[in-house]
Amino acid sequence: MKILVIEDDAETAAYITGGLRQHGHVTDHAANGRDGLFLASSESYDALVIDRMLPGLDGLGIVRTLRATGQSTPVLVLTTLGGIDDRVEGLDAGGDDYLVKPFAFAELLARLNALARRPPLTQVVTALMVADLEMDLLKRTVRRAGARIELQPREFQLLEYLMRHADRVVTRTMLLEGVWDFHFDPKTNIVETHMSRLRAKLDRGGDAELIHTVRGAGYMMRAPE
Amino acid sequence: MPPNSRRLPRLLRTASFRLAALYALLFTISVLILGAVALWTIRGALDRQMTDRIAAEVATLRATYQAGGLDALVAAARTRGLGPVALDYAVDQPHGTRLAGVLPQLPTRSGWMTIAGGPRHEDSLVEPAESLRALVVDLPNGVRLAVGDDRSRIEEVQDTVQAAFGWVAALVATLGIGGGVLMSLGFLRRVDAITRTAEAIIAGDLTRRITLRGSGDDLDRLAVTLNHMLDRISALMESLRQVSNDIAHDLRTPLSRLSQGLNAARATAGSPAAYEQAIDRAIIESEGILETFGALLRIAQIEAGSRRAGFRALDFAEIVTTVVEALEPVAEDQQHVLRAELPPAGAGRPEGVGDRELLVQMLVNLIENALRHTPAGCIVVVSLVRINGAAELTVSDNGPGVPEAERAHILDRFYRGDGSRTTPGSGLGLSLVAAVAELHQTELHLEDASPGLRVRIRFPV
Repeated sequence: MKILVIEDDAETAAYITGGLRQHGHVTDHAANGRDGLFLASSESYDALVIDRMLPGLDGLGIVRTLRATGQSTPVLVLTTLGGIDDRVEGLDAGGDDYLVKPFAFAELLARLNALARRPPLTQVVTALMVADLEMDLLKRTVRRAGARIELQPREFQLLEYLMRHADRVVTRTMLLEGVWDFHFDPKTNIVETHMSRLRAKLDRGGDAELIHTVRGAGYMMRAPE
Repeated sequence: MPPNSRRLPRLLRTASFRLAALYALLFTISVLILGAVALWTIRGALDRQMTDRIAAEVATLRATYQAGGLDALVAAARTRGLGPVALDYAVDQPHGTRLAGVLPQLPTRSGWMTIAGGPRHEDSLVEPAESLRALVVDLPNGVRLAVGDDRSRIEEVQDTVQAAFGWVAALVATLGIGGGVLMSLGFLRRVDAITRTAEAIIAGDLTRRITLRGSGDDLDRLAVTLNHMLDRISALMESLRQVSNDIAHDLRTPLSRLSQGLNAARATAGSPAAYEQAIDRAIIESEGILETFGALLRIAQIEAGSRRAGFRALDFAEIVTTVVEALEPVAEDQQHVLRAELPPAGAGRPEGVGDRELLVQMLVNLIENALRHTPAGCIVVVSLVRINGAAELTVSDNGPGVPEAERAHILDRFYRGDGSRTTPGSGLGLSLVAAVAELHQTELHLEDASPGLRVRIRFPV
């Protein structure tokens, strides 16, 4: 992927661009809002990482300008620690996702992957499939190897999220936000507990594991090799 | 400069003195206008009275002349001219010969006129008047009759009235200015007292308060308000100081642990594996510190109250269901029972406005707190009821509870009860609960559920 990073703090920028390059991505970097907007509107990128607070032009100003000119490149907004209003403002301005600093690199990578491969909004998906696991989104049913699996509504949502992001890492916070709409970090292991129950239901007959734990990052839904 | 010589110009500059001086000026002008009007009216009335009297006298004498002839007229003029308040008369024959009366030489025309010079009273010591008001008539056969009156009496009255009003005006001005000075002195003294208090507070004595006179007047009320403001400021300063101390204390420990760990690794770790282990420990430690920072900032932001602008209509039952459903398996893994008690769906469900995201976090924190501080096998119940139209949310457990003395403190930042020193946690979970509850203007009560702790949150209607 080709990713533009607009970040004024040199160390943070180096941390992000270095990590992205290590994972095989091509990066551009702009250290202020004006240069960032110029690059974002003149070059073609797969995703943008934009810091909220920038000299010259505010990060949200860049997102607004891009959206106003019809640019739909996915944007991940970086916000400061503890800014509880930032998420709403970032999404209102046209950002696709947000991440609170400081963050683990795995989290940034997982979110960028999720954003960049987000299907177009017009495409209506009615069924999801990973290996022998099928999900019917209209009838709200799940079958594995043809056998019906009964899930609680929240387990169904959790599985749907994993299947929609199949072959990509999803982090604990992505699940908390996407499945439970929790925008804070609970002290208890809500995700782990629900995940282990879901796994137990999916793999009950000793079937091959579909939900994999990615150490230090999160989970991944993947067909067995 | 000695204080007294500085005091006078300051006094003249006070608002109360200026007001008093303005009033004194206005009153003095009013008195003067009143005097002028009175003078004018009195003079008019006296003048009219005099002319009426002269005209009546002339008519009487004319009748006397017509009835008794010249002799009767002369006799009448002589007798009527006697006495201290009598009018002055003149009866002249044709060609100006004076037959009777004391008026000076009459002019040749007739009618109303002012004659210069006074009457010539042979027997009188009275100073002759300077001018006379007189009516001169021509009677048949060339006889001329004149009746006049001294104007000095009117002028005397006029002078008296003028003098009286002059004194009153002077008195009003003096009292006004004097009163103004006294008032301003009193005012200055009290303003000075407030200024001295403020200066003492600026100098660092935050305990100082403005002394009240107890009269309940406007300055007293202002002083009461200022004192309340000062109380509030000191309370905030105290809490700020407390928070800074807490932060310093609670972050110093993990920061020094982090530093020690890294130093130890530098000094002793010999293998890449040992370094990795040290780095992992440092990461965990620094994440904990960042988490504490994040929680503190979040609490501060909630306390700032800006979130209130984003309040929306809430479905309390949905919040309780979502949170309990999310935490129920967690509770079960810890051998706890977590249960929600909701009013039946329909009209009885409480409604309100608020910030869903924060309320969800508040409820999660409350339940997590209950799970963490109770032994396995305990029951945690989240219940939602509607009381007089208001939503009341309670989270209760049947664990060991919190001693009465500790209950007041568990909402404080970084407070860890003696019993929970060893359990994990930042000591900020319940502070966030308190901040969210405060943001929503709820009544938050911590009660003894005998056994256990009950947290009761009553939302406003």
